[in-house]
Amino acid sequence: MANDRLRALEEVENQIATILQYAGNVVLELSKDKHNASFLDRQLSQVTGSVNRVATELSSQIRYLTQVATGQPHEGSTYSARKDCQMALNRAEYTRVKLGELGRTCEVMLDPQL
Amino acid sequence: MASQRALPQSKESLLQNYNKRLKDDIRSILDNLTEIIKTAKVEDETQVSRATQAEQDHYEMHVRAANIVRAGESLMKLVSDLKQFLILNDFPSVNEAISLQNQQLRSLQEECDKKLTSLRDEIAIDLYELEEEYYSSRYK
Repeated sequence: MANDRLRALEEVENQIATILQYAGNVVLELSKDKHNASFLDRQLSQVTGSVNRVATELSSQIRYLTQVATGQPHEGSTYSARKDCQMALNRAEYTRVKLGELGRTCEVMLDPQL
Repeated sequence: MASQRALPQSKESLLQNYNKRLKDDIRSILDNLTEIIKTAKVEDETQVSRATQAEQDHYEMHVRAANIVRAGESLMKLVSDLKQFLILNDFPSVNEAISLQNQQLRSLQEECDKKLTSLRDEIAIDLYELEEEYYSSRYK
């Protein structure tokens, strides 16, 4: 859920860059002696379309944040589960070490030349 | 439950500031682009000489283009601030991420303990057989 919103904001950043690009194309076309009117119209409609999309998306994000923000710090934590999991992995590692020692002891007993 | 929760003043003013910045920057881009297009029109009659008018238009277009770029950069900064605010204050998604992580860690721990328990049971059976063999031999 958070990733979707962050991805939407990254898409907004791309659209802001395209707005500036289209605006630059408009100015570049205006600087020519003979303008291509259809090109100008297309670029301008893309500028206005992108601007509207950016404004809509950012307004929607700000509205969502107004609804969910509490002003308090989040006090959730995964420490407990992480600690339990770490202890389980430590138990498994200890078991592996002890079984390794047992295996080596058995090999020494079976083959005294080792 | 009230539809609009009372936010602390700082958060409320921060979000209002974001709204204001958004409106100002969008208006700045559109207004400056409109004025550039208007200025591009060559007037037949001017109050000053053509060269002076051209110089003025040139300077005005530079300034307005710089304003458009500034507004674009300000929008980028706004998006960055919104991302930061979202990460810190979007409690539903933070809660979801925490519960997902807890679930994954607990399932890993349970799987680990289950395998250790089955290993213990197998070794206990083998130990029982070894003890039987040892205590019925002449080496006990």
